[in-house]
Amino acid sequence: MTRRTRVNDIGREPDELLSEVKIEEMIPLPPPYENIEDQPAWKEVTPAARERMVCNLDGVVALSLPSPETEEEEQEYVDRFAEGLRKLLTKEDNWTFLQPLTLALEYCVGCQTCSDACHIFKASGEKEIYRPTYRSEVWRRLVNKYLKAGGKLAARLTGSDVDLNWASVTRLYELAYRCNLCRRCAQVCPIGIDNGLIAHELRKLFSQELGWAPRELHEKGTVLQLEVGSSTGMNEVVVKDNVEFIDEDMTEETGIEVTSPWDKEGADVLLIHNAGEILSWPENPGAFAIILNAAGIDWTLASDGIGYDGVNYGLFYDDFQLARVALKHVQTAKKLKVGKIVMGECGHQHKALMTVADRILTGDLRVQRESCMPFLEEIVFSGKIEFDPSKNDFPVTLHDPCNIVRNLGIVEPQRRILRYLCPQFREMTPHGVDNYCCGGGSGFAVMSSNNFTDWRVSVAGRMKFKQILDAFADQPGPEVKKYVCAPCSNCKGQIRDMLQYYGALEKSGITYGGLVELIVNAMVDVKEPFIEWEMH
Amino acid sequence: MSGSTLVALAYVLLAVFLVAGFLRTVKIARLPVHLRWELAPVPKEKTRGRYGGSYLETFEWWKHPREESTLAELRYMLEEILFLKALWKHQRRLWWWSFPFHVGLYVLAGALALTLLGGLMAAVGVAGPGWGLLSSGLPVLAGAAYALGALGALGLLVSRLARPDLRVMTTRVAFFNLALLLAVFATGAVAVLTVADFPARAVGLAHALLTATPPVDVPTALTVHAVVSLAFLAYLPFGQMMHFVAKYFTYHQVRWDDRPLEPGGRIECEVQELLQQPVSWAGPHIGANGRKNWVDVATEVDQ
Repeated sequence: MTRRTRVNDIGREPDELLSEVKIEEMIPLPPPYENIEDQPAWKEVTPAARERMVCNLDGVVALSLPSPETEEEEQEYVDRFAEGLRKLLTKEDNWTFLQPLTLALEYCVGCQTCSDACHIFKASGEKEIYRPTYRSEVWRRLVNKYLKAGGKLAARLTGSDVDLNWASVTRLYELAYRCNLCRRCAQVCPIGIDNGLIAHELRKLFSQELGWAPRELHEKGTVLQLEVGSSTGMNEVVVKDNVEFIDEDMTEETGIEVTSPWDKEGADVLLIHNAGEILSWPENPGAFAIILNAAGIDWTLASDGIGYDGVNYGLFYDDFQLARVALKHVQTAKKLKVGKIVMGECGHQHKALMTVADRILTGDLRVQRESCMPFLEEIVFSGKIEFDPSKNDFPVTLHDPCNIVRNLGIVEPQRRILRYLCPQFREMTPHGVDNYCCGGGSGFAVMSSNNFTDWRVSVAGRMKFKQILDAFADQPGPEVKKYVCAPCSNCKGQIRDMLQYYGALEKSGITYGGLVELIVNAMVDVKEPFIEWEMH
Repeated sequence: MSGSTLVALAYVLLAVFLVAGFLRTVKIARLPVHLRWELAPVPKEKTRGRYGGSYLETFEWWKHPREESTLAELRYMLEEILFLKALWKHQRRLWWWSFPFHVGLYVLAGALALTLLGGLMAAVGVAGPGWGLLSSGLPVLAGAAYALGALGALGLLVSRLARPDLRVMTTRVAFFNLALLLAVFATGAVAVLTVADFPARAVGLAHALLTATPPVDVPTALTVHAVVSLAFLAYLPFGQMMHFVAKYFTYHQVRWDDRPLEPGGRIECEVQELLQQPVSWAGPHIGANGRKNWVDVATEVDQ
């Protein structure tokens, strides 16, 4: 029997793997995906790459942290980590989450109820390091040992002696990115301890004190967004060009004249998409434009600042980047004097701008912000658009984006639309606020360094893929086309990667898309099918 | 142990419990307001709470009054406090031990209140007509508390030792906590079973504590139980077992606190003050220097 990895092991043997993920130990998938030998092999992290980058957690390298050249350099980072650990627990530097963090630090009783709720821990075959409590307990022991009076003696006496060294710091860094921050663990905790928050705070420590963050979220994410306007790299000119192209394409495809208004001052609605939609899923902003125009909504897109990209990766790793992006979004709305901001189909955009940033939008920074779910529900049931639900007569299931559903409590509007427009709508099990994360949450969907995509899809996404297959178990074959409605850009990216990874369109006839695509597909005025049964 | 020593020790240990418990509670309560971090379900949401919905489901929610149900929230709290519903729902294996353990604690609190009431009545010289009935119920109440608590504590202890998933994550402190609680229940059970006229003896001890008079001839079993229980109380505020207080904050001030910012309200004022604090994070993109405040850092984005 393999020895279980213990909390204190985190600081031992810096060059060895703490644990290893094995496909044969993971939860099995339903047919026709049950054979391990048929599942794609993982990308290899070569010995040369291991020399170059830190790889000492689970054989997966999400962060490509360069190996330091000297022990002095290692020690400098360890010292800075210790300083960050202290700052996390001060009012001056971390008032933003100090209360929930302190509660999580001091009151977990270790009942492990959270572990059974964690899709990553369960899917991995219950790897100890993926327990929601594992990284929390490491962090707790480090705080108790290094920040409290008599901590070192107490650590020895109580057997909670975790060493703060290069091994523990670098493993914690990778481990902070083995959690989707979906907060399913927090939801089931009888005491209300939030282990997802601890992963979030660790990410903040690394970013805000050491300057360590995934390149996809920081340099190519928030920094790029604040510099050029979008994490996609699109500037104002390019985004307008792309949307114009989408409008033309939609007009041609549907026979309906589609125009997206830009920078309309005083519009009732400023619609902010995740700009990734414009590049990867143009049918989504196209469908929004069709619906809003058909319903006679006074709306606009914004090209000012970062007003055309609702992404806010700061939510996942850095309070300052979060605030900077959120302030820019609001300033754009203020400048245009719009009635409200409506969030496009992007979960973390919802959470960042609607709730997490809410309390820093003080004084004249207040702008009303609304989810597209009730907004679309209002339109669909307003009678302004004629629908023919029989056009959507194929199996449809709904993925609940954690940031919209579990974190904001927006559960029913999207369901009422689907029940009305999709005769074969069926729920996943579990669903609603009890849903499982898609595995792409907290920025993972855009992270693909080294072999991280393999881990993200086959471990973090495993539970969701199983749920999708189970939802369509009554018609498993490829001859029946099926649709996973995922009204969130990052979730869509992850589900796309999963379906492609396993060849699910060919083997099971499953494709995916957003909510607005289904709405447009059911519109009487749209003569040709809007949904394309292909992987895109 | 002499009666006067016992009373003095009890005062010291009770003082530690009260002062430390109060200070720890105040410490949590006085932590600054944080960013919104709510988590569904929020049970006070009228009608929507049952499936986890919130007011954000409403089209232009800011134009509508919030529909809240204090009753629904109270019901959720009572189910959680009395029946440990979350554990029942999400980890039933542990519930079978945790439930009797917690009920044992609740009943013990009731028995203690009854004992103190008896002591108080004796102190003021009132022996109400119902006291006879109450005193006869005391051994039953205490006995039930000790039996349930001991069963639960033992079950939890064994679970943590026997279940590999629990054992690997259980600290020595957690084992000690359970052992201490088991000792409280076990010594109590011994006292109920061996002390003749247990209610009168227990009430006598309570009377002594309330009047600061040395009790006469306290049986050894009762002395041991009192000392172990008081030691437990004095230790309680220093560890995770204060979670019964923390739970108020994790639920009401984190998970269920979904209030939108009210212009000019208390939270806005507090946040505006917090934003004036200097930032000292050293990440190069932060651009902090120990003098710039949160507003400066968040609005200067040219890294």
